Amino acid sequence: MRIIKKTNIDFLGRTNITTLLSFFLISAGIISMVLNGGPKLSIDFKGGTLVAVNYTEPVNIEKIRSELSSVLIDGQSFNFSNAEIKYFGDESNIAVRIASMEEEPEQFSKKFSDKLASIFPNLVPVDKNNFILSVEKVGPKVGAELSSDALMAILSALFLILIYVSVRFEFKYAVGAIAALVHDVLITIGVFSILGYEISLAVIAAFLTIVGYSLNDTIVIFDRVRENVKTTKNAPMKNIINQSINESLSRTIITSLTTFFVVLILFLFGGEVIHTFSFAMIVGVLIGTYSSIFVASPLVIKMDSK
Amino acid sequence: MEKNLTPRYLVIGLILTWAVYTLLPTWQYQKMTENQKEDLRASGKLERIETKIIKQGLDLKGGMYIVLEADIPTLLTNLATLDDERLKVIINKAEEESKNPDVDFFAALENNVKSDGIKLSRYYHEYGSSLDEILLSLRDEADDAINRVLEILQNRVDQFGVSEPTIQKQGKHRIVVELAGIQDSDRARSLLQSTALLEFYLVKNISVTNEMIAQLDNLLKGDKDLTKVELPKKLEEKKSDDEATSVSELFGESETTNTSTADNNEDDSQLSLNAPFSSLLTALPGDIGLEDKNLYRFKKLLSLPEVATRLKNSNGQFLLSQNSQGMTDNSIEKIYKLYYVEDKPELTGGIVDEARADLGSLGSGSAGQAVVSLSMNSDGSRTWSRVTGANIGERIAIVLDKKVHMAPSIREKIPSGRTQIEGFANISEAKDLAIILRAGALPAPVNIIEERIVGPSLGADSIKQGTQAVTLGLILVLIFILIYYKFSGLIASFALIWNILIVLAVLASLQATLTLPGIAGLILTVGMSIDANVIIFERIREELRRGKTPKTAIDSGYSRAITTIVDANVTTLIASLVLYQFGTGPIKGFATVLFWGILISMFTAVFITRTIFNTYVSRKSITSLSI
Repeated sequence: MRIIKKTNIDFLGRTNITTLLSFFLISAGIISMVLNGGPKLSIDFKGGTLVAVNYTEPVNIEKIRSELSSVLIDGQSFNFSNAEIKYFGDESNIAVRIASMEEEPEQFSKKFSDKLASIFPNLVPVDKNNFILSVEKVGPKVGAELSSDALMAILSALFLILIYVSVRFEFKYAVGAIAALVHDVLITIGVFSILGYEISLAVIAAFLTIVGYSLNDTIVIFDRVRENVKTTKNAPMKNIINQSINESLSRTIITSLTTFFVVLILFLFGGEVIHTFSFAMIVGVLIGTYSSIFVASPLVIKMDSK
Repeated sequence: MEKNLTPRYLVIGLILTWAVYTLLPTWQYQKMTENQKEDLRASGKLERIETKIIKQGLDLKGGMYIVLEADIPTLLTNLATLDDERLKVIINKAEEESKNPDVDFFAALENNVKSDGIKLSRYYHEYGSSLDEILLSLRDEADDAINRVLEILQNRVDQFGVSEPTIQKQGKHRIVVELAGIQDSDRARSLLQSTALLEFYLVKNISVTNEMIAQLDNLLKGDKDLTKVELPKKLEEKKSDDEATSVSELFGESETTNTSTADNNEDDSQLSLNAPFSSLLTALPGDIGLEDKNLYRFKKLLSLPEVATRLKNSNGQFLLSQNSQGMTDNSIEKIYKLYYVEDKPELTGGIVDEARADLGSLGSGSAGQAVVSLSMNSDGSRTWSRVTGANIGERIAIVLDKKVHMAPSIREKIPSGRTQIEGFANISEAKDLAIILRAGALPAPVNIIEERIVGPSLGADSIKQGTQAVTLGLILVLIFILIYYKFSGLIASFALIWNILIVLAVLASLQATLTLPGIAGLILTVGMSIDANVIIFERIREELRRGKTPKTAIDSGYSRAITTIVDANVTTLIASLVLYQFGTGPIKGFATVLFWGILISMFTAVFITRTIFNTYVSRKSITSLSI
């Protein structure tokens, strides 16, 4: 069986359109981030408390929100109605996210989950240990550290890859590859911002995987280019690259499709905990494939003509 | 290629056998019923098996991950021989600055000391004379403190009885505790966080106490600062409904020291204005109570500087009871007991020799209730005997971490150094206190700076869904590859299944932890591993199209594809190494699986498939290749 017959598509003849498209996607993300005051960060980076609980039947979020507008803990009154309250998986699971507080009462997460239990006392599981699905609490200092760690991780990964590609190929390829990676990460962050998904530690892991994956794709094409440069001398770079993209097209499509379906399954069936992780991967696989052809390759030509 | 294939068979055979052998214990363990596990545990064999199986992360098993940070500023305040505001201000400033992750606390302290010109030798003369010397010894002291904290926590957790707890130091002043499968996270949390500072304070007598309350009322009367701690509107309304909170009752019972609160019909806000402090309190038979709804305001008032100074000058402090209790069984309002005690303890921790949780013996006042019996060392016994002898009839507060567990009256001199602590909600609370007292007090308080709890049901869901996703993903990829590449697809499928098995075997033998992101990593490995075969097969097809024989097509297909595969995979390996370096817990699990998955895919998807192809084409003279 063969899906892709021999092709001769002029991928690089349409760079104007694709540059515009990339530009549009990136700026849409950036505008969204500016409007929202930066990407939406999870408590991993911002600090705060996330409590997820499990009722025995679907519950109404608005009811919980109004109940949380005045909560009394140790004589201190709180208004959590502005907290982020959402369904976690299905409609009987609720996750509440609360920002870091200056003066947090002792055993806050316990007292808070007790409050959640008291809103629907009849819907709490018989075994109370099954009521709490998860609690995450990150202090502001740890959040700041995790943020700088994450930034360091992405930057050092990009730097190491730049070195590797420069050694194995030429510098101009490395520039093209890195530009494609930055492009991918920017667009993925932008998509997260537009959809209001938050960036957690797991999503950073997904970003780094996207970096690896997208590069994988780019390198397969570059490898072909390197080979074709040796065999067909004197041909213009543009033609060589176009030919190389066409030659590796069937591989690109098959691999992208299999990986896409694999992460799609993860997104659909992998459970709530890795939902955003797999979503980032889906976006990354699509954008990664696109950028190898339409960002990395044209840049190599640009660098070559200089 | 007419090479001898035997060495290849040998390598493959060895590795596959090793993988099966390594995975055997995990497979057996999965099949075991709970009863069989119990039997093995009794004979001590289970532990040996457990070291050989794939460990599941907290996100799959359920459990608790806590990062504790030693409170170095408090440690330094405690170490100072002179207790004054100037030093505290400097330490607080340094603490504030070190909230920035790039600033070291001691460096910030040094800067602040220099700019202030304060002489540290006045406070820490035991630690040297010059600034450098003192700072160096204080640093050592802090390092030493964290090591002792680590040891003590280890001790506490061991006695708590959790299977496979991990307690390790992270960085300089942090400790990471991982407790798998824990059900009662609140109990575990207080067990870890308790400083276990046991102190015995004399309780000031009732007239002194009432006078101090009256003084504070006068001090705070009309104070504008109070507006800062005014209760929210809704609560005020609730409070005025509550006729039971009558302060005059409290004073009527003891002494008439405060006339301004005598009028029962007085408007409540007026009351809190005239008697801002005592209006928060409630009379209890023989004690003073504080309703939990007033707790926040009470603490706010006590933290006002003028109140703190007044208390300090009178050598006294207010302490609250450990638990709040309902006045009657069905009352909603919980009440803390409030004690006004001396500011210096008569006796402090470190004197406990042995602590045991018990049920109170018959005939005593605590019959059937949970108690902790203490015996003290000789130093402690001597002081205890002197203190009890000199204060017969007085009350003594037994205080743990600044919370009063009980405040009995001293009936007679206690020469033996034995004493009993009461006031526990249940026996496990008493047991935990005994554990904490036996393990000793922490040299510095610890704060929880990060905490992640995964409930058992979420963990079970994650395993179920994760396995489901991996299986489904794998099956889909296998079906696709079989249809698309036919016989060659079969070879690739065979390699892919071994890829996963070998990754799991490596995880088992490395004692690595499988986390939920790790399962995601496994599924990504499936995708990336099949990519290697796609690259090779597409290349072989190309060569065949150019009219080459199957044999030469395979040869050149592999040799051309191999550089591409290596280059592409090395970059992903770099990403996974970086992830491993920076990640914690679950993310590390992801990086580990991704790293090994890609490394092993180069063995299975290239080496194993190649060997099979070579065997296939060397047997007979084939003219066509099913690809």
